[in-house]
Amino acid sequence: MDKDFSLSYIKKLVEKAVEYGFEEAEACFMSTSSMEINILNSEVSSYENSTLEGVGFRGKKNGQMGGSFTTDLGDDAIDFMLSTAMENCEVLNDEDEEFIYCDPQNAHLESIQLSGTYDKNTYERFEKTGLELEKDILALSEYIKAVDYLSVSCGTGPSISVNSKGLYTYKDSDYITIFAEARAEKDGVVKTGGHYWFGKDIDEFDKEAFLKVLKKKVLGKLGASSVDSGEYKVIFDSEAFVSLLHTFLGAFSSYNMQKGLSLLKGKEGDTIASDIFTLREEPMYEEALIKFPFDSEGVLTSSKALIDHGVFVKALYNLKTAHKEGKESTGNGFKSAFSAPVGISATNLVVTPGDKSFDELCEWIGEGIYLTELNGLHAGVNQISGDFSLFCEGYLIKDGKIARPVEQITVADNFYQVIKKIIAVGSDTISVPEGKGEYFCPSVAVSKMNISGDTGEEGEE
Amino acid sequence: MISDTTASRIIEAALSTNADFAEIFEEQKTSSAVGLLDGRTIRASSGIDYGVGIRLMAGTNVVYVYTCDKTEEALIKLAKQAASAIKAGTSAAVKQVQALSRSSASLLDIDPLTVSKKTNIDFLREASEFALSYDELITQVQASYATSRRIVHIVNSEGFNKEESMTRIRFSVSAVATKGNEKQTGRIAPGTMRGYEFVNEYPIIEKTKGCCDTAIRMINAGYAPSGKMPVIIGNGFGGVIFHEACGHALESTSVGIGASCFTDKIGKQIASSVVSARDNARIEGEWGSYMTDDTGRESSNLLLIENGICKNYMIDDLGARRMNAQPTGCGRRQDFTYAPTSRMSNTYIENGTDKPEDIIADTEYGLYCTKMGGGSVDTATGEFNFASEEAYMIRNGKVAEPVRGATLIGKGQEILMNIDRVGNDLELSAGMCGSLSGNVPVTVGQPTIRVSSILVGGREA
Repeated sequence: MDKDFSLSYIKKLVEKAVEYGFEEAEACFMSTSSMEINILNSEVSSYENSTLEGVGFRGKKNGQMGGSFTTDLGDDAIDFMLSTAMENCEVLNDEDEEFIYCDPQNAHLESIQLSGTYDKNTYERFEKTGLELEKDILALSEYIKAVDYLSVSCGTGPSISVNSKGLYTYKDSDYITIFAEARAEKDGVVKTGGHYWFGKDIDEFDKEAFLKVLKKKVLGKLGASSVDSGEYKVIFDSEAFVSLLHTFLGAFSSYNMQKGLSLLKGKEGDTIASDIFTLREEPMYEEALIKFPFDSEGVLTSSKALIDHGVFVKALYNLKTAHKEGKESTGNGFKSAFSAPVGISATNLVVTPGDKSFDELCEWIGEGIYLTELNGLHAGVNQISGDFSLFCEGYLIKDGKIARPVEQITVADNFYQVIKKIIAVGSDTISVPEGKGEYFCPSVAVSKMNISGDTGEEGEE
Repeated sequence: MISDTTASRIIEAALSTNADFAEIFEEQKTSSAVGLLDGRTIRASSGIDYGVGIRLMAGTNVVYVYTCDKTEEALIKLAKQAASAIKAGTSAAVKQVQALSRSSASLLDIDPLTVSKKTNIDFLREASEFALSYDELITQVQASYATSRRIVHIVNSEGFNKEESMTRIRFSVSAVATKGNEKQTGRIAPGTMRGYEFVNEYPIIEKTKGCCDTAIRMINAGYAPSGKMPVIIGNGFGGVIFHEACGHALESTSVGIGASCFTDKIGKQIASSVVSARDNARIEGEWGSYMTDDTGRESSNLLLIENGICKNYMIDDLGARRMNAQPTGCGRRQDFTYAPTSRMSNTYIENGTDKPEDIIADTEYGLYCTKMGGGSVDTATGEFNFASEEAYMIRNGKVAEPVRGATLIGKGQEILMNIDRVGNDLELSAGMCGSLSGNVPVTVGQPTIRVSSILVGGREA
C-alpha cells in the first residue's frame, strides 16, 4: 500500500469515527517489510521476504478510550473497527483518562531515518555475507562443530498516524541484523554461544571483530565447572547488566507507580543507588541507530536522568499518567504495535561510564565472578519486589585475572540492593539493543552477591 | 477464502522454478479481550488479523513469504517472487487440489464469540471483588479474559486442501499480597478449547481463593535454601520441567540438525525407567490441541518416552526431509508471519503408580514445588532453568515451612535419569510456548514427581 493511499485510509477512518459518534479519534497505519536469510551447512536453508500492514484505531466516548485493529484492510474493516471500538468504550470504566493529543506548535511531526543504503540488501549480498561468515566461524577452532543458527536480516517500513485534533506523524527507518550461534564440543561436553551485529549499512559489518567476540563467547565456555556456594564480588559484563536492568526498568514507569507495582513510588529525590551510578534516557543519542524525536501520542521526547549519581530523579510518563498527577508527559507514551494500546517505554538509555578498563576492574576486585549471561529472566524474577534467582554463566576471577569458565551456578539477589552495591563502573561502553532502542552500558562491578553452585563430585561433568 | 482455482494458480507460479513443494497458508483470526484492575475494566480490545503465507521447499531449502493482500494478482506476484529465490532443485508436478476437508479440536456448546464482553467482565469482576475483600494483605487484583477464533486454510502442491478451526478461551486472575515493601503474586490462568460452558462450570471463587492463599503464604515465606537436594515437583504446571528440559530437545528443529542432546537416541534409554511421556495433540477441547497441523497434516498422539526409552521425536515436514523420516503432524506457527516448525501440543509425563502423599512421606529432606513458573533451555547442552512460584521445605517426610525465590537449574539429560518417583495424579495445565515459529498455545502436564537431586538456587546457604 503506498503512502498516499494509507494516509487517505486512516484519515477517512478518523473522519468516519467522528460521524459515528466518537468525541475524539486517532488511527495509525504501520507497515513492516523484512527480508531474512538463514544459513545452515553451507547453503541458504531458508529465505523470508514479506510485508505486514495493519491499522490500529482508538476512539474516545464518555471519557473512555476504546480500541480495535485489523490487517484486513477494506471498507468492511472500517465498520468493524468503529463498531467494536464503540462497544469497547461502552464496557470500559477506567478512572484514569486517556487523551488524543495535538500540540498546535508541533502538529506535523516527521522522523525519516533511512540509510539510503537499503538497496544493497539483496538476496545475493546477504547470501554471500552469511556463507562467508559460516565458513569463517567453523574455521575458528577444531572444537567448533557447527553453526546451528545464522541469520542475516533487514527491515524497513513507515508508520503514519493522524487524529481528530489535527496531529499528523510520520516515521520511517531501516536496520540490518546479523546473528550467529555456534556449537563447540570438547571431551564430550557441548557449549553454545551466540553473537549479533546490527547496523544500517551492510558494508559497515566488521566480520573480524564479530568473529573475535563470538570465539570468546563459545570457546571461552569450554572446560567450565561450578563454584562453591557463597558471597562473591561480581563484575557484570555489559550485556548481562543490561539484561538485569531492562528486566526491572518497569519500576521507572509512572503507571506501575500509580498502580502500586513499583517500589520507587514516592521516592523522587531519594538515593536509591550507589553515588557512582547514573542512568540517563537519551532519545536522540548521537550514537544510537534509531532516534526518537517524538512518541506515539505526538509528544516531543526529551533527554533526562532517571538516576543521577545514585539519586532517583524522575519517572517516565505518558499523557494519561501525567494527567493523573497534574504533570507533563515526558514523551514516553509508546505503542509496541499498531494493535497495542499506548503504554510507557524508554527509548535509548545510557549508563555513564567510569574510568577503569575491564582489565583494571578485574585487577581491582582481585577475586570474584565475572558474569556474562543471565538466563530465565522472564521467570526467575519478582518484578515488584526486585528479588531474582537466575541461572547464569561466566568466569572465575582469581588474582585479578580471569581464571576459568564457570557453569551450573545461580545468582540470587535483589535488584534494588544490587544498584546500591555498585562499587565501580567500567569505561568499556558497548551498545546493547534491548527494548525499543539501545542501552549504552559498560561493565559494572558489585560488592557482593549470593552465588549457588556445587563443586561436589556429583556436580562435576 | 482463497478459491481452489486461485490456489492452483498460486501453486503453479510458486513451482515455476525449481521448488519441489509449495504451500499456501491462509489465516483469519478474530479476537476479543478485556482487562480489569481491582474490578474496574481498564482494557477492552477487538481485532481481525488476516494474512497469507506462501512456503516453498527445494530439498531442505525453504523460502517463506507473506502478505495481508488477498487479491489473486498480489498472491501470484508474491509466489513468483518466492520462486525466484529457489536457486537449485528439481521441480515437482502439481497434484490436483483435493476437495476441502474441515477439522477442529474445539468442543463448543456455547460459542464464546457470541458471549458479550459485559458477561466476560461480570465473571472477572466477581473474582476480583472476592479477592479484594478476602484478606487485608491482598492489595491488588488483576484479571483478564481473551477469546479468539483462528481459522487456517492450507493448500499445497501435494493436493492437500485442509481447514482447521481453533476457538480458544483463556482468562487469568492474579492476586497481589503486600507486606511493607514486599509483594508476592498468586495466579491462575486456565485455557481451553471448549466453549463458554467451561467458564460457566469453572469454580472461579474457589480458585481465586487459592491464588490469594498462595500470595499470602509466599509473602510470609523466607527464602529458599541453595544447594543440591531432592525436589518434588507438583502435578499440572510442574510439567514445565519436562517441556523445557526434554520436550524442546525432542523436536526435529534441533534433532534434525544434530543440535540436540537427544540426537540419535531412538531406542536408547534417556530417562529413568519410571518415566513415560507423550505429546498428544488430539485431546478434544484441550488448550494445546489441533486435529490438523499448520502444514495440513493430521496431528498425532505421539509416545515420546516409554519406560525411559526414547521412542519418537516430534517431526515437521522440513525435519522429515532432514532426518529422512515421516512427519508426525506437529508443524505449528503463531500466525502467517512465521514459517512452521516442529512444536509441542499437550505434552506430559504419564501417570505412575505412587500416591503423592507417599512420595512426600518417603522424602526426609528436600524441596516441594507445588507451583512452577516459567523457564528456558539450551537444547544443545540440555541446560535449563525454571522458577518456582510456590514451594515448601520437606522435613522428615512432612511438608514444612513455605519458601520463595527458588530457581531450579540443571541439565535435561541428568534430570530425566534422576526422576525416581512418579505419582498417579496426572493433570494438564495451559501455557504459551515461544520458539522459532512464534508463540503457540501448549499444555504441559505431569503427575507429582520426585527428582533425586537438583541444584536449587536460593538465597540462604
